[in-house]
Amino acid sequence: MSTPQAHAHIDPGYPDGPVNEPDFLSVEKGLKSWLLTLDHKRIGMMYLFGILVALIVGGAFALLVRTELWAPGKTIVGQDTYNQFFTLHGAVMVFLVIIPGIPAALGNIILPIQLGAPDVAFPRLNLSSFYLWMAGALLLVGAIPFGGLDTGWTLYTPYSLETKTPVLIAVSGVFLLGFSSIFTGLNMLVTIHKFRPQGMGWFQLPLNVWAIYATAIMQVLATPVLGITVLLLAVERFAHIGIFDPTLGGDPVLFQHFFWFYSHPAVYIMIIPAMGVISEMISTFSRKPIFGYRFVAYSSVSLALLSFLVWGHHMFVSGQSRLANMVFSALTFTVGIPSAIKVFNWVSTLYKGDIRLKVPMLYSLSFLLLFTIGGLTGLFLGILAVDVHLHDTYFVVAHFHYVMMGSTLVAFLGALHYWWPKFTGRMFSESVGRACAIGVFFGFNLTFLPQFVMGARGMPRRYWDYDPQYQIYHQLSTIGAFVLGVSIFVTVVSLIASFWTGKKAPRNPWGGSSLEWQAPTPPTLYNFEKPPVLHELYNYDDLVEVEEDRWERRAPTELESHEVDEAEGHGHGSH
Amino acid sequence: MSAAAVDSHHAEDAHADPHGDDHHGLAHVAPVKVLLATGGSLLVLTIVTVLATKVDFGANINLALAMAIAVLKATLVVLFFMHLRYDRLFHSVIFVGAILAAALFVGFTLMDTNQYQQTNIWNPDAPPAAPIGPRPTNG
Amino acid sequence: MTDHPHAPHEPHGDDLGHGADHGHGHGSPFIAHHYDDAQHQFDSGKLGIWLFLAQEVLFFSALFVAYILYRYHHPEIYSYAHQYLDVKYGAINTAVLIFSSLTAAWAVRCAQLNQKRGLILCLATTIVCACAFLGIKYIEYSHKIHEHILFGRYFDPCVSAGGGELLTRNNNCAGTKSTVVWDFGTGTPTAGCFTEIDQDPRRDGVQADCTVKEYEVSGPEGKTETFKRDITGQCPEESPFGGEATSSAAAGGGKLEPGGKGGESVQAKGGEAAAHGGGKPCWRPAFQPAVCKKGVGILVEYGDNVEREHTRIKAECKAAPKPSDAGDLFADKPQNLELGKAAIHPRHQLTVHEQHELEAAGPPPEHINMFFTIYFAMTGLHGIHVIFGIGVFLWLLIRAIKGQFTPDYFGPVDYAALYWHIVDLIWIFLFPLLYLIH
Repeated sequence: MSTPQAHAHIDPGYPDGPVNEPDFLSVEKGLKSWLLTLDHKRIGMMYLFGILVALIVGGAFALLVRTELWAPGKTIVGQDTYNQFFTLHGAVMVFLVIIPGIPAALGNIILPIQLGAPDVAFPRLNLSSFYLWMAGALLLVGAIPFGGLDTGWTLYTPYSLETKTPVLIAVSGVFLLGFSSIFTGLNMLVTIHKFRPQGMGWFQLPLNVWAIYATAIMQVLATPVLGITVLLLAVERFAHIGIFDPTLGGDPVLFQHFFWFYSHPAVYIMIIPAMGVISEMISTFSRKPIFGYRFVAYSSVSLALLSFLVWGHHMFVSGQSRLANMVFSALTFTVGIPSAIKVFNWVSTLYKGDIRLKVPMLYSLSFLLLFTIGGLTGLFLGILAVDVHLHDTYFVVAHFHYVMMGSTLVAFLGALHYWWPKFTGRMFSESVGRACAIGVFFGFNLTFLPQFVMGARGMPRRYWDYDPQYQIYHQLSTIGAFVLGVSIFVTVVSLIASFWTGKKAPRNPWGGSSLEWQAPTPPTLYNFEKPPVLHELYNYDDLVEVEEDRWERRAPTELESHEVDEAEGHGHGSH
Repeated sequence: MSAAAVDSHHAEDAHADPHGDDHHGLAHVAPVKVLLATGGSLLVLTIVTVLATKVDFGANINLALAMAIAVLKATLVVLFFMHLRYDRLFHSVIFVGAILAAALFVGFTLMDTNQYQQTNIWNPDAPPAAPIGPRPTNG
Repeated sequence: MTDHPHAPHEPHGDDLGHGADHGHGHGSPFIAHHYDDAQHQFDSGKLGIWLFLAQEVLFFSALFVAYILYRYHHPEIYSYAHQYLDVKYGAINTAVLIFSSLTAAWAVRCAQLNQKRGLILCLATTIVCACAFLGIKYIEYSHKIHEHILFGRYFDPCVSAGGGELLTRNNNCAGTKSTVVWDFGTGTPTAGCFTEIDQDPRRDGVQADCTVKEYEVSGPEGKTETFKRDITGQCPEESPFGGEATSSAAAGGGKLEPGGKGGESVQAKGGEAAAHGGGKPCWRPAFQPAVCKKGVGILVEYGDNVEREHTRIKAECKAAPKPSDAGDLFADKPQNLELGKAAIHPRHQLTVHEQHELEAAGPPPEHINMFFTIYFAMTGLHGIHVIFGIGVFLWLLIRAIKGQFTPDYFGPVDYAALYWHIVDLIWIFLFPLLYLIH
């Protein structure tokens, strides 16, 4: 976008200097100033803290599950306890970690700064979302002292109507978590629409913003269905209304439709923000504009829309009609198109790039590989005939872990490292970070590659016991899980330790081009002490590394004519 | 004032109320006539739909008629009470989008259920559907 | 690509009240600092509320899916069960809600034009209408609770939609007592269903040949039974579905009266039976697939309106003689009554209209409870929204009385009105879908 007066306002950069205002961490002190804050960054950091705790809880359950599976028969716990372990692992990881991980925590902190906005559109709503999340998390985890939950995170009826475990408590938690997610999405949508600065058109938005936008569409449109589903489940359980209960004339498969109408888009709520942050990191650390910006942006939105059309592929063996099976199977393959577009564009961005193997980039490269494996194995499961064989086996477990964990969690960790210096003001330990990134990559593959093999050979998921022929795979998997667990734990500890041990971070440690790198580090209460300057996004020509991990903008980009951009920027600004 | 806000103002002017009634301030002001006419039509349509049920056109036509009247009433509410007639286009996009998502939900779910509904849940004495071959057409 | 001054949010941080510096001349103290001006705040809020409404549409959509799905597969449930609902109440509620929607829309107009009294009046009217709506709903609900016309497991009405009494699992309907003993734990009848019955095409209804005894129950948990008397008289022949002696009259007797007639019907029946039996209790086979999956229970009519907690009926039945000229109409075995259809085989060919009426008045189809599951789920969720709306409007009313709304700042009124319209909108669909089933 070029305008006549542009030159007059050029500020070549933001050399680090003293910032006259206190940063948001020190503007107010005390617990109360955190708990009642309306500042999106503080709310985001509280989310982050909660999510890291939940990650450790969920990870502990994962390790317990893997330990139990070290040998056939009883290793450490009995069947019932085992059922609760994998249920709580799934529920905690899905509802408390992966879904809010990037949009609610990192998105909250970073998105308004990327837009140059002082806050999200509705700060009070933002704080209520956080407390809804908190209450939901407490209820969900609170199911443990009341006997744990053993339905699997999917809460399928009719078992969830019959089990003696506290389904009611857990689903109340899920209900609140759902509304937390809806309100976060709503907030993000309004923020993106109404808080873009003048001159930032839709196609000058960072891809992270596009991804969060696509995610928010799904959060607003899909999550309410989860809300009503768990509400009906709860009422069914205490009032026996019969809607899901076949003995009263209800339909348990209807529950699966309701559940997956939300939970399939939820899979994309988990993965699309990951794709957004990966786009940011790959471009920054390749020192190259993202290849095919528009395709990456459009593919986020098209993935969001396609996500509503494929939920039935979770139900191929649930007694769905043949027609539905065929339609859902066919539509499932279309999801491959936007996903592949993204992967090709990231690889093309890397091509001939000036690649810097910083910690976030290591995670990004892991993501590329793991997401490709996860995505391609999804195609097997989308084939009706193959799915009959693979359904409910470890193949499925491995597939969705490659997507949810190998992709989303790895991207989350990468993004956490990428923006950590920005919002904490401290650099983390690069060597520990790299070691952990490598540990996560190898630990992850060691955990889940064997699961593909044993799944294809018929090992069913969620089983406490197994035939000895699978033992070697289970043992490899368990070893991998511990490598993974230790790596993530050390990462979290190292990041938190950086508050005290890390050196002060500059404004722009990675040479990023988007607006958040112009804000003070850590940002001030309203993010910028003076209005940020819009430079061409993903153009690294005038960013210079003045010393290690410190970049500054030296000379203004030469003006180029971007009539097309300008026309669009104007046309799309109206929403 | 942001770009968004500036543009929106133009958009609203373009949609200005045909009656030339007051459009000042932050948004369109609904004229009293429009409000009363909308409310009156809604009440009349309510009476019509109750009366229509008393006439036997056949179950399907009765249902279609009732739904048509309901859609008409809903449209009136949305256009005039909810100001969508005068509001910016994007709000209509959101609303219609939500309804489309709901329609999709209904459509795809309905596409599924014929089969298992027939076999074992509602009528335990009925013979199970043949495992292969075309399924019965009758729902 | 170049550089724009970041117009909207100029001097952040150093100036908390900078919103007022933009020269748009808004005077409302309710413009939050991170907005540029009143218009920016209003537009953001409006976009937010529309997204919230989109969320509401999807929130309700699952119930509509359930409704459409069950209706598509089981229209008979809907055409039978909706008769328990009273169109009158539904229609009045529709009108009340439409009127409240009108006043809500008018409230927005008043707020925009700074008409404080008008605003307060409109908001107050909306609240009153919303309360009236809930009041009428309360009447409907309490009636249904009283009659056991409830959702799922608790659907156990004493009368059919057509007015005939039914065997119930609770077995405590006024004026009658049946042989059926229901086990709520397993959800099956443990005793009292008889398959030794017959249907003679030359006679109406179900025939059975039984000896019926009445016991007095006492002691802990009703363990002790004392024989009281034999119930000898069989009730005058009539269809077991509340109709009268002939099939054409069955259609008339089971006349479709919209809901709310339950209690009266019981009394009316009781009176009738008393008239037939001269005050002496009589028995007859009675039919309710929801209780006896196969066969019938034996129902004793006392001709009064008393619930008998400590009475137990036991019966022994033998198969009635098979009619020799029944031809291939009936199998040798005791009849497994076909569920969901009228068990009466009429002597003459019924017209389509009569058939329709008969089916409607006849034994209920299986799982009619699903209609009430959906009815209560939909109207209940809608009612919760109404309650929430009342809270919001009360808050607005207080703020309006304090004079906080100005033409610069009326967003909350507008947003609440939009919410209220969507509540109205959903009811506009619920009314024909639940009450106006033909």
